[in-house]
Amino acid sequence: MSLEDLLQRAQVWRAGRAAPGVGLASGFAALDAILPGGGWPTRGLTEILAAGSGIGALRLVLPALARLSREGRWIIWVAPPHIPYSPALSGHGLDLTRVLVVDFPEDERNAAAQSLWAYEQALRFDACGAALLWVDRLPQLRLRRLQLAAESGATWGLLFRPAACAAQASPAPLRLELRALDAASAPAALQVRLHKARGRHAGQCCRLELEI
Amino acid sequence: MPSSLPLFDSAPLPVATRGPRSTPERWLPTRPLPAPTLWLCLHLPQLPLEVRTRGLPASRACVLVEGEGTRRRVLMANTRAATLGIRAGMPVGAAHALGEVVELERSVEAEQAALTRLAHWAMQFSPLVSLVAPDGVLLEVRGSLRLFQGVEGLLTRLRQGLKQLGYRAQYAVAPTPLAATALARVSARAVVEDMHELPRHLAGLPLAALRLAPAEEEALASVGVRTVGECRRLARADLARRLSPALLDHFDKLHGLAPDPRAALPVPNRFESRLELPWEVSHAQALVTAGERLLHELQGFLRGHNAVTRLLRWRLRDRSGHWQSFELRLTQPGREQAHMLLLLRETLMRMSLAAPVTAMELLVDDLVQGRPGEGADLFGQRPAAQGEAYAAFIDRLRARCGDEALRGVALEAAHRPEAAWRWRQGEGLTLAQRVGARSLSAAGRQARPLWLVREPLTLPTHEGIPHFEGPLTLAPERERIEAGWWEGPAPARDYFVARTPRGGRLWVYKELEGEQRWRLHGVFE
Repeated sequence: MSLEDLLQRAQVWRAGRAAPGVGLASGFAALDAILPGGGWPTRGLTEILAAGSGIGALRLVLPALARLSREGRWIIWVAPPHIPYSPALSGHGLDLTRVLVVDFPEDERNAAAQSLWAYEQALRFDACGAALLWVDRLPQLRLRRLQLAAESGATWGLLFRPAACAAQASPAPLRLELRALDAASAPAALQVRLHKARGRHAGQCCRLELEI
Repeated sequence: MPSSLPLFDSAPLPVATRGPRSTPERWLPTRPLPAPTLWLCLHLPQLPLEVRTRGLPASRACVLVEGEGTRRRVLMANTRAATLGIRAGMPVGAAHALGEVVELERSVEAEQAALTRLAHWAMQFSPLVSLVAPDGVLLEVRGSLRLFQGVEGLLTRLRQGLKQLGYRAQYAVAPTPLAATALARVSARAVVEDMHELPRHLAGLPLAALRLAPAEEEALASVGVRTVGECRRLARADLARRLSPALLDHFDKLHGLAPDPRAALPVPNRFESRLELPWEVSHAQALVTAGERLLHELQGFLRGHNAVTRLLRWRLRDRSGHWQSFELRLTQPGREQAHMLLLLRETLMRMSLAAPVTAMELLVDDLVQGRPGEGADLFGQRPAAQGEAYAAFIDRLRARCGDEALRGVALEAAHRPEAAWRWRQGEGLTLAQRVGARSLSAAGRQARPLWLVREPLTLPTHEGIPHFEGPLTLAPERERIEAGWWEGPAPARDYFVARTPRGGRLWVYKELEGEQRWRLHGVFE
């Protein structure tokens, strides 16, 4: 097998070359410029590691989610920390008929296991465009299982985790660290750093200004 | 084999050497009636035992017993019991000496109910199904052959289906109902499609297979007649005079010389089936086998009735006779056994049994005419296939996670932030529906957070400044929101966008009356 053949098979990636395939436009040109494939992946896991609440982890992905929902794909929210507020979602262009929230009362016995199960089902469900999960600690084995589910289906799996989880190794091909810049400025600025990106050098950053 | 056999008096039969007199058949050369019909009989030799054991996997040796006191004997034994050496007719004590066996009482009513349900299940193969009590079901299949690709295709489907139901059957196909019935009783599998072939196949049939009245059978035996072929060599007039005209009629029907119409079993408008378990079960998961059998019965029933359903009602009986019930709801009316089984499995996994269960029951009375996936989408907004996949997905989640765990969101025409939205649940989740009025608060114009905090969180204050992860910085703009008088007593609030020291943006309000607390109501995530 020649070197060209190997490269054609896309199993070998070369640093600095975008992975083959076209990403999902994020709605932020600066972000698309650093994401492998020029946008969000359309399948597989993406980890969003945010330092602090309210800095815009959701707004970062919302333009892409809105477009998926308007294409008729389902957006499935598993165990969100608060109520996804429909006036704001609809204001950002999300088709509310495509929103499904799966959550469990906190006193339910195995809420965490149930959430993971539901999330995995969502990842394997073809008509689901994106599945969102808010989770703190996850065993490596579970993460790998989720990544396999996300790769086998046609669903973009989003994992929202605290920044502290960045230290844990993860099979997710894309991991982003989020940090608010100069708290005093308005509009708020967000720094997105590629913690890990298959097909890209890690460590690249971009600065985004997010409207409310 | 002579080809002129259908004329009964014309030629000797292969069994003629054993006959009482070696004379040719004496019956008048009546032409058999034209046979547009073809009958299939299912004979269930093990029905009494299977009715009692099919609810659980055959993991234990089971025997069906009969009789009183010391005369209790084994009536039937399952395969596992047979490998222990247990045989029918053995005293029960002897059977126990051979190994650990489960003793089961015979229930004739349960057998008849099971046979009727089997007939309803078989209606998916033919519209004309009737019972041959106590252990047979008869189907008129001439019209179904094309659909099921001939007799072989039909038999294969039947065999697979019966296996899923937990029955073993002997099959026979013949041009007359009586011939099919009698052949099924003596052979595992017999197919006679042609009326001209029938006499040849019937000739060697022992009279016992006809289940004549004992007196008649004895009378025939006394003159040395033991098979149908031997009987045919008797003179018709003699037969009618010495025995009974009814017997002659029976033979005519058997050979297709006299019409033998069968009434179709009436069609019930609901499905109800109970399965007695051979032994008590204390884990809900162990009920999957019984559930699978019931679901297969249901699927056949629904196919036969060209119906689908949305609601499956289950009941479990514990050893004290108390019933525990639960329901399975389908988002889209259907009859797919695999899907229903998946839902049942998930539901059983979540369930804990109050007491060991002795019987399982399935009841379906919400029957909708039609095929699965037909006209299910009210507004035609999504392609049917995708809607179906979604319905199946939702059902699966619902079965495992419970009804309350799944919700959609919608807008409400209300001014107060907590009233400007609502959950969509149950039916609302799956009907493609209009999402509701634009919110009065005009989501487009005013800043609204993506997260709404479930219960507004009271924030501590230091020197008048609210704190959350440190002191909050308030933006200068404020939005005053007052509840309408019709919404009950709710103090007016001033809303602010606040920033945390780490750069996060929150939606907080200050109560304008009472304690004037600062509260966190949303997060601009």
